[in-house]
Amino acid sequence: MTTRFGKLIGATALAFGLSGPALAQVQVEWWDFLAGGDGVRMKALIEQFNEEHPDIQINGTTLEWGLPFYTKVRTSVAVGEGPDIMTYHLSRLPLALEEDVLSPITAEDLETAGLATADFFESSITAASTDDGQLMAVPFDIHAVVVHYNRTALEGTEWLDADGNLAGLDSIENMTALLTWAKEQGYSDPLSFQSEGGGGTWRMFYTLFKQQGGEMLTDGEVLAGDNMDKAVTAIQTLADWRAAGLIPEQAAYEASVALFSGAKSVLHINGVWEVPTFKDQSEAGTLGFEWFANEVPQMMDQPATWADSHAFAIPNDPEMSEETRAAVLTVIGWMEKHSLAWAGAGHIPAYKPTVESDDYAALQPNSTYASLADNAAFDPRSKIAGVASPIYDAVDNLIAPAVHGFLSAEDAAQQMKDQLQGLLN
Amino acid sequence: MSKMNRRRRELRAAILLIAPFLFVFTLFFLYPTYKVIAMSFTDAPLIGEGNWVGLANYTKLLGDKLFYTSVWNNFYFVLLTVIPTTIIAMLIALAVSKLKGRTQALVLTLFFLPYVLPVSVVTMIWAWMLDFQFGVLQPLIAAITGKPVPVFKNPYWVMPMIAVVTIWWTNGFNVLLLIAGLRNIPEDLYEAAALDGATPWQRFWRVTWPLLWPVTALVLTLQLILQLKLFDQVYLLSNGGPFNSSYVVLMQMYREAFQLNNGGYASAIAMVLFMIIVVVSVLQFQLLRIGGRRK
Repeated sequence: MTTRFGKLIGATALAFGLSGPALAQVQVEWWDFLAGGDGVRMKALIEQFNEEHPDIQINGTTLEWGLPFYTKVRTSVAVGEGPDIMTYHLSRLPLALEEDVLSPITAEDLETAGLATADFFESSITAASTDDGQLMAVPFDIHAVVVHYNRTALEGTEWLDADGNLAGLDSIENMTALLTWAKEQGYSDPLSFQSEGGGGTWRMFYTLFKQQGGEMLTDGEVLAGDNMDKAVTAIQTLADWRAAGLIPEQAAYEASVALFSGAKSVLHINGVWEVPTFKDQSEAGTLGFEWFANEVPQMMDQPATWADSHAFAIPNDPEMSEETRAAVLTVIGWMEKHSLAWAGAGHIPAYKPTVESDDYAALQPNSTYASLADNAAFDPRSKIAGVASPIYDAVDNLIAPAVHGFLSAEDAAQQMKDQLQGLLN
Repeated sequence: MSKMNRRRRELRAAILLIAPFLFVFTLFFLYPTYKVIAMSFTDAPLIGEGNWVGLANYTKLLGDKLFYTSVWNNFYFVLLTVIPTTIIAMLIALAVSKLKGRTQALVLTLFFLPYVLPVSVVTMIWAWMLDFQFGVLQPLIAAITGKPVPVFKNPYWVMPMIAVVTIWWTNGFNVLLLIAGLRNIPEDLYEAAALDGATPWQRFWRVTWPLLWPVTALVLTLQLILQLKLFDQVYLLSNGGPFNSSYVVLMQMYREAFQLNNGGYASAIAMVLFMIIVVVSVLQFQLLRIGGRRK
């Protein structure tokens, strides 16, 4: 439809004696869900691409994050009205494979894009492939939660090292000590995160769970063996903090960000995608304190941080023309090679040459927290896991209420296990 | 012109006039309904065909604990909304009908305004006003209960609050219906009653109430059907939680179809809800009519 419309405009332009190239222009329909600080960066990238490529035009649409996005993708692809390219969470890949919404990326495709699998972090390629090793999407980044912190508030305390990075938070007790101190200093909600449910609570819970070496799924069983106890410990830790007023009660996503930028919290555990938000506020001088971000400290047995990955995917549309597909691949190749701008949006690019560049090393706080890539704990690879999956709903429905004292940690973990197991069988 | 000819012409005109409706009705109601019924006997995914599985989806549904929770929540919500919204609408309608001219039009518009808002706007307004951390209504709640309450995250508050939002949003339409009903009551009846020395209270119970009853019954039935189909507000405000205390039948259907890719099972859920609505609303309307005739 759009291409036909584009051709019509081209033909009209020609008829009116305007320049020819418009006729050959390929329109690429682009869907993403990037509406935060990172969305602004992505729109700038699209604009730059369009300026540099008179023969290809990206028509970007930003849709609502989560289940609405994936529902729309699923239904529109089925009737052949989907986009030509879209952003996709790699945690969502198992479900995508089951739903058959993605078009495989062949070796020739990668070549057209001017890329090779060796250019990417191995973990991201694995996450973007089927179990048989067929690439289904091109990874764009690894993103995780980090600790955003108020450096000014922590100035002169034992919790900052000489470089101004967080230090000494090597156990839950030490973290509790810092938060208790901050509470005494008058910070109403010392550690803020989206505690209301859904995404934020899952990221927090999963980070603590993985720091104990926990596994959500083993051989098709949910929370098998002592994984149950680890889940209970993770929930109980959060519940204890909430009972002591160290984390906010029922903070919605925006509220959790506002608690930090409004200096009611000293620490804020949230995605790297909020880095541009605080960075912009810092540079505009509206933040009121010095902000920085580090990897989430190892408070339990091993380092681990919840992580996911954004990738570019091509919908499974047998009627897509060769021309459009080639244009889409050009877009992907260009985006990867300009992923330094995406690093500016907080994410760690999956394209290695960018991360290994000097420009990236100079990027702060990004290069400081890039270490988390080694400790990235991805969602379990299952159709019940990933963004907007049943696991997210179970966290919203059970874990968050337990954190806020409506349910015991044991009951919440047990009910989550039963509910998710039911979906797997 | 013969009689025969005229009748044929009339018939042709009639068919021509109802054809557009019939076409739309068949295409957008009858055919999809047939498809849903057919799909509910298969194991189809959300999109595409499935295999015939007979009554398997229905037997699975009968053993599904979550389904009973949803049905229970649906009826709880009906209880919270249908009668309260009708009483409130009637009070407003009675008060508005006392006003005259422009003032009446203005007040009526004010009550009707929320109804024209899309549900996403309504829920966003209320979610902001009731936000636990920064909501402007929290001090009011704190003044009553002693502390702020995360209304959409509290198992006891969630359904009543969704009911409040729903009543605020949809009540304008009921007010309109009842006002139309009030205007249909002949003025002479009130004059006669006044001559006989009826008090305002007697005038309401002996004149207004019985004559308004048919419209009231209609409002009650329309509300019942509407509220059993509850989905949007729950999806946007509480997502069915906490621990399923606001999980409703359509929510379950949505999750099964769009999140879990079980089109067949979701169709079975839809069919059962459809049957529940038909049975309950027909039953209610008949009972109300009988109740009305006795007066």
